[in-house]
Amino acid sequence: MYHIGSYIRGGAIIYRLDPRIKLAAVIVLSIVILAAKPLPSVFLGLALIILAFFSGIRLRTIAQAVKPLLFFIVLIFFVHALFTEGNAFLSITCFGLSLSRAGLSAGFLVTWQFLCLILAAVLLTMTSPPAQIIAAIKYYLYPLKLLRVPVDVIAVMIMLALRMMPVLLSEKERIEIAQRARGYNEKKSGFILRIKAFLSLTAAVLLGVFRRADELAVAMEARNYQQDTRTSFVELRMVSTDFIALFFLSVFFFIFIALNYCFG
Amino acid sequence: MISINNIYYRYEQEGIDALCGVSLEIQEGEHLSLIGPNGCGKTTLIQHLNALILPRQGKVIIDGLNTSDTENHIQIRSRVGMVFQNPENQIIGMTVEEDVAFGPENLQLPTAAIKERVAEALERVGILELAKRNVEHLSGGEKRLVAIAGVLAMRPRYIAFDEPTAFLDPAAAKRILKIIDKLNTENVGIIHITHNMDEAAMASRVVVINEGRVSMEGDPQDIFGKVDLLQEMGMQLPQVTELLIRLKLDGFPVRTDIVAMEDATEQIKLLVKTR
Ligand SMILES: Nc1ncnc2c1ncn2[C@@H]1O[C@H](COP(=O)(O)OP(=O)(O)OP(=O)(O)O)[C@@H](O)[C@H]1O
Ligand SMILES: [Mg+2]
Repeated sequence: MYHIGSYIRGGAIIYRLDPRIKLAAVIVLSIVILAAKPLPSVFLGLALIILAFFSGIRLRTIAQAVKPLLFFIVLIFFVHALFTEGNAFLSITCFGLSLSRAGLSAGFLVTWQFLCLILAAVLLTMTSPPAQIIAAIKYYLYPLKLLRVPVDVIAVMIMLALRMMPVLLSEKERIEIAQRARGYNEKKSGFILRIKAFLSLTAAVLLGVFRRADELAVAMEARNYQQDTRTSFVELRMVSTDFIALFFLSVFFFIFIALNYCFG
Repeated sequence: MISINNIYYRYEQEGIDALCGVSLEIQEGEHLSLIGPNGCGKTTLIQHLNALILPRQGKVIIDGLNTSDTENHIQIRSRVGMVFQNPENQIIGMTVEEDVAFGPENLQLPTAAIKERVAEALERVGILELAKRNVEHLSGGEKRLVAIAGVLAMRPRYIAFDEPTAFLDPAAAKRILKIIDKLNTENVGIIHITHNMDEAAMASRVVVINEGRVSMEGDPQDIFGKVDLLQEMGMQLPQVTELLIRLKLDGFPVRTDIVAMEDATEQIKLLVKTR
């Protein structure tokens, strides 16, 4: 099972880039894409696809990671398609909704942009070990330390959140299997029974996760975790490839913004 | 030296008295096994060794450091490593090397030193090739090895293992036992909880815990010679000892104070030759 946040080993150049550059690129991308026009968006998406191709990660793996978000993607599409004003060519009278050309293109555009964002995030997390991403976040948050923001604690919290995510999922699966083993059948059950099963599933998952978290806390203490400063195993150092990448990224975003301006 | 001096421990919420006056000394470089029926207090006892829990009464001294003094905790936890029963709940990092680095990071070592320790620890348990792997995708046996490496990276003088071979297949279990044995030859003190009597017999000293107390203590031959007492507690014997006892009951002249496979083989060879 791969999900967003999974790291997958590989040897492509993108793996060796300084995580600070990758993280900054994703952040810049997520800002500029909000204002992007259609053509530049396509340009950006294609660039990401090329990047994905050269990362050596298989399409299937990426698809697997994106799949849980499918619902949101479809939702985003329909919300934009149905609620954008324009000349309706199809109206669903009973709900008072209508589809228009403008709506459809807005739907496609926003969905495409959202997909770009997901792809960028997936590429970042699949090609950088979590510790590196955390080190990069810590680096950018570092100035906040002067304001007494507990940056080290935040970094450990992110690490634990990443660690607990698969635990949560597997706990859920385990309990669902247990429910089925005791004769619960989702398809044949009525509404009330399904709600009940859902509630007991939620309670059980939460209890299980709290117990795990408790044990994890003890294990952390046993390995000398204190809340103050920790050093890091990850060493962030820019080498020539990083500077080259930084240069190309700047050029890329510059072209992107210029395109966006010209084709507006 | 670890010295446990007449300690009492109670789980307050449930009102369970888990330890009722345990005293024990563990020398540096010793290999000690802790055995006893379920719920007798073994896990509770070893959690005292690195100050995860503190005795209600009595004291635990690690190389002269009292666990009741919070100031000592960092030093104590660097000296005594703890390999918990379930590796799942003690792996903190997402990748193998990140997890192994967790302890040294807490010790605030510089990056180069952390890297060196991580590589060394992975090497010692023989999983250097797993360094970059995501821990979620490891087998149970591999996770157990990662947990051990995480402890080794702190370079402890003593390591407490809580049922390190539970749920492993024989090959994986053997691998862990080999690592424990090797650590011991490198003068790391081992405290080894187990329900497997063949494993317990590997130690130089066996301590039997029952109902929160030390009920017997001695070398493996001694302890496994007290068949009646062990059976009273519902405990078994090492398989070879049991085999020899049965032979003896059937009238064959064999020694029964034997716990190791090699010695038992000798006894049986002797038996065959004399017939
Ligand atoms: N966290 C806890 N809260 C309350 N009671 C506990 C807790 N942990 C253990 N106990 C109780 O304390 C007693 C000793 O437990 P402990 O886990 O030390 O036994 P053990 O010898 O390790 O057993 P096992 O061989 O089953 O692992 C048991 O009666 C147990 O129910
Ligand atoms: Mg136990």
